[in-house]
Amino acid sequence: MTQDEYNAFVDALLSAELHQFKDWEKVPYFDGCLPIEVMAERGRETLRFGPMKPVGLTNPRDPLVKAYAIVQLRQDNALGSLWNMVGFQTKMKYGVQAEIFRMIPGLQNAQFARLGGLHRNTFLNSPKVLGGDLRLKADPRLRFAGQVTGVEGYVESAAIGLMAGRMAAGDFHGKPLEAPPETTAMGALINHITGGHIEAEGYSGARSFQPMNVNFGLFPAIAIAKPEGIARWKSVDKTRAKRKAITTRALTDMMSWA
Amino acid sequence: MAPRMANSEPIHIIGGGLAGSEAAWQAARTGAKVIIHEMRPQRMTDAHLTEGLAELVCSNSFRSDDHEHNAVGLLHEEMRRCDSLIIAAADKHALPAGGALAVDRDAFSATVTRAIEQHPNIAVERSEVAGLPPLEWSNVIIATGPLTSPALAAGITDLTGEDALAFFDAIGSDYS
Ligand SMILES: Cc1cc2nc3c(=O)[nH]c(=O)nc-3n(C[C@H](O)[C@H](O)[C@H](O)COP(=O)(O)OP(=O)(O)OC[C@H]3O[C@@H](n4cnc5c(N)ncnc54)[C@H](O)[C@@H]3O)c2cc1C
Ligand SMILES: Cc1cc2nc3c(=O)[nH]c(=O)nc-3n(C[C@H](O)[C@H](O)[C@H](O)COP(=O)(O)OP(=O)(O)OC[C@H]3O[C@@H](n4cnc5c(N)ncnc54)[C@H](O)[C@@H]3O)c2cc1C
Repeated sequence: MTQDEYNAFVDALLSAELHQFKDWEKVPYFDGCLPIEVMAERGRETLRFGPMKPVGLTNPRDPLVKAYAIVQLRQDNALGSLWNMVGFQTKMKYGVQAEIFRMIPGLQNAQFARLGGLHRNTFLNSPKVLGGDLRLKADPRLRFAGQVTGVEGYVESAAIGLMAGRMAAGDFHGKPLEAPPETTAMGALINHITGGHIEAEGYSGARSFQPMNVNFGLFPAIAIAKPEGIARWKSVDKTRAKRKAITTRALTDMMSWA
Repeated sequence: MAPRMANSEPIHIIGGGLAGSEAAWQAARTGAKVIIHEMRPQRMTDAHLTEGLAELVCSNSFRSDDHEHNAVGLLHEEMRRCDSLIIAAADKHALPAGGALAVDRDAFSATVTRAIEQHPNIAVERSEVAGLPPLEWSNVIIATGPLTSPALAAGITDLTGEDALAFFDAIGSDYS
């Protein structure tokens, strides 16, 4: 997109008529999935620094001119006939959505297979109501798994399912199973939702339970030494080294449980 | 933990989404008997469009697959090492997506559905559990997701005395 195209697009978003919410539908957003029109409201440049960030791409037809903003399309089926607009969640009215998205160069003739919308998320206050083995304290024959336990996302949900399935099987066979070590991603996740939260890097106290994606802040801290022969250790390199140390430790500690 | 008596009653799993399908697979591979109760297609949610197990309701991405420098990539790798059905099906139907693990959603869901339906230790019942599970189910996993049916949600709320919170999540657009 050129600067003019981008500005026209942002203007259209700002004037779009939003889906009207009933009073009871309070809408707190995760920063990870803010509707694009909400981002546009936060500032004219927000989208250009978010999902429309124009980095790492060269226009083969005009290699010397950098795009002012871009839209990433992700292939959605093996045929290549369906593509997903990455990061384009929205709560604009359906008619308006197609009209505005056709302003994007290349999408003038697109057919929209699925429009954006807003949906409910039901989840437990897990740290309070679940034990460390995912069973409901008030009725231990019930174990919970997936997004309803307060994790967020396909992978996280499946990971809690994996642990719950093994634990239920443990009970079936009369061999109760403990959660994986807290130094693993699975252990860190279950530990977070069941409230046995440990002192973690970059995490400052107050526990108000909100749905959680897996992230490095959930792992116990790890000490790493600066490599020899380096005067100043750049912070990007240090972060990378720290992540590598955490993931190496996790995969080692996972062996006993896997 | 102290050993307990074996409970050879079947494991009842409510919800055949990402979590319920993986849970069923993991339990069944140890020899446990499993019954999945999935309400689709009899009763659909606001987001699901098919009757397939493990339907991806929005993006087709499992996010970064970098297991050395990314936490979700690490989670993929740990799950692979635990013989995860979900990750194996995703790997099988991966699409080009840079460093991300993105999948063909229909082929992915079909593979999970087939693996579950053909497993000798798993039975799939297509009906809603419309309230708290019957008392004779002694080993239950509730994996009904962000769009848990209202009847079951109300049952859970009665039991916990805890308001199950509701909030909203935006979904992206797809075009072809
Ligand atoms: C609109 C929307 C968009 C999303 N977008 C993304 C995304 O882009 N990326 C991402 O990683 N995550 C996304 N998520 C989250 C993702 O859907 C969940 O993390 C994941 O599906 C949760 O897995 P689950 O197994 O817990 O629930 P689900 O996969 O939803 O499975 C729950 C199953 O339980 C069934 N069920 C419900 N109630 C009953 C009942 N009473 N009896 C019987 N069966 C029942 C449902 O039919 C469903 O099959 C989104 C969620 C929503 C709602
Ligand atoms: C609850 C929830 C809801 C979500 N809702 C939505 C939604 O509505 N819409 C949506 O689109 N996403 C949604 N997502 C997905 C999330 O926003 C993704 O992380 C984001 O879209 C980027 O995903 P990614 O696959 O690029 O992974 P990332 O981990 O961000 O990317 C991994 C690497 O691959 C690169 N890459 C990814 N795709 C390509 C490609 N096609 N070509 C070249 N390089 C590529 C990236 O640049 C990066 O370097 C949701 C996630 C969650 C957890």
